[in-house]
Amino acid sequence: MLWDALGEAIRLLTGGDPDTWEIIVRSLLVSLCATAIAFGLGLPLGMALAFGRFHGRGAAHAAVNTGMGMPPVVVGLILTVLLWRAGPLGGLGLLYTPAAMVLAQAVIALPLVAGISTAALQQVDPDFRIQMEALGATRARALWTVVVEARLPLLAAVMAGFGAVISEVGAAMMVGGNIAGETRVLTTAAVLETSRGNFALAIALGLILLGLAFAVNAVLTAAQQRGRP
Amino acid sequence: MTAPLLELRDLVVRAGGRTILTVPRLALAGASTTAVLGPNGSGKSTLLRAAGALLTPERGDVLLDGAAATRADVRAATAAVLQRPLLRRASVRANVESGLRFRGIARAERRRRGEAWLERLGIGALAERPAHRLSGGEAQRVSLARALAVTPRLLLLDEPFGALDAPTRGELLADLREALAGTGTAALLVTHDRHEAAALADRVAILHGGELRQEGPAGQVLDHPADADCARILGFDNVLPGHLLGVAADEIAVPPEACGLSGSGGLSLAARLVRVIPLGPVWRVELEAEGWTVLANATNAPSAELVPGDEVELRVDPAAIREL
Repeated sequence: MLWDALGEAIRLLTGGDPDTWEIIVRSLLVSLCATAIAFGLGLPLGMALAFGRFHGRGAAHAAVNTGMGMPPVVVGLILTVLLWRAGPLGGLGLLYTPAAMVLAQAVIALPLVAGISTAALQQVDPDFRIQMEALGATRARALWTVVVEARLPLLAAVMAGFGAVISEVGAAMMVGGNIAGETRVLTTAAVLETSRGNFALAIALGLILLGLAFAVNAVLTAAQQRGRP
Repeated sequence: MTAPLLELRDLVVRAGGRTILTVPRLALAGASTTAVLGPNGSGKSTLLRAAGALLTPERGDVLLDGAAATRADVRAATAAVLQRPLLRRASVRANVESGLRFRGIARAERRRRGEAWLERLGIGALAERPAHRLSGGEAQRVSLARALAVTPRLLLLDEPFGALDAPTRGELLADLREALAGTGTAALLVTHDRHEAAALADRVAILHGGELRQEGPAGQVLDHPADADCARILGFDNVLPGHLLGVAADEIAVPPEACGLSGSGGLSLAARLVRVIPLGPVWRVELEAEGWTVLANATNAPSAELVPGDEVELRVDPAAIREL
């Protein structure tokens, strides 16, 4: 069965099956967009949690850490209710669109990225920032040097976020609807093929998914480990 | 009289609901080095950070050239080397240039000035190495070069040699002294080591429990402690009542180096040996005389002859006694 699946995967990829390639590209785009949004919001949030001195910081930190383990199905459910035609955000008409999937995945990845970013930034010696200011850096510049200093673990935050959303199926299914040619991605397609009994095809899609996750993480890892002994 | 380069006035720093530093006035003159001596937790690092506008005091002013200065003014005039060499994850060269980069110096000029300081501190050969793979001494040299490269008017040094072994420390100390003298840079050196202070400083200030206890020319302060706490910080470990050694003052201080168990001359006092602390060639002995603990050096006494409980004759060099 596994060999069949492997053959099927190779056939799908090399045969230039337009449906498969479309699904691959959509999966990548949705998850990369979601990860980018999650990082864009998660890094400042992580900085606020790591360096901020405000009331409720502890509670916010705990909330983010809790969010790291939030089931995607719950996120999917909440967003479905919100985006439902009669729901509070129904007017946007986002339900069953790739935009809704990006939104759901960004929500799933945000606590992961923010939580790991917080830990990454806190790993840098607190005196590092003071030392940078003591050399003439403005406060903002000194903060930025801390971010640059923490770039390796921050990339780990990006990898964790991407890994979580590319492999996620519950929310993608619920807010995307697995519509062929519109919102079908690798995970939802694999679920569909499994339910149809097309195990070889489902496994092939799973293998492609694995390969994709590996390729993206390999690029990030290469960037992360550049210049290390 | 010219105004001091930097002056702290009525400084009070609070943290965690308590006052951790009070300095009524401390003036740092240009082209001179002031050492701040004190035990751990005495507020030395806090004083250094206040002088560099790296913290916000409860109250007090920092003056530059006699005039009130903003945080930015003070930052522009100073550069600090903190206890641990906090280097960026980048090459040695990039680290040495980072202060210049923060100050908006153009690339070519950065290169030139960075290069000069790399050579001057003997780390030119390490320029392209990643900074996180240096030894402790090399890293501290980079940290020093990085601060000196911005040519600050006042260099702030927070126990920069604290974590180094003795030979490394000695070499770095000599190189630093040369660099400061060569550029006419003023320095504020925070340390708990009076020998370091003696080697580098023109003036010495003593902090104890967050209070400025004594301040003056190095020769004067190092040899004439103002009170019992200053005496202990300056190595006058024996703080005793004057009558014990027949001195008119209420309280006197005398370093262990001026107390011995052999020889003739000087003041003599009957004592009992409490314990022997081997410290290499010179042994430290703890004695008890009339209920007071006295530390003395035992250089010539063979160790086998020293048994706790022995009655011994303590000899003190009267020239080393300081009245408090």
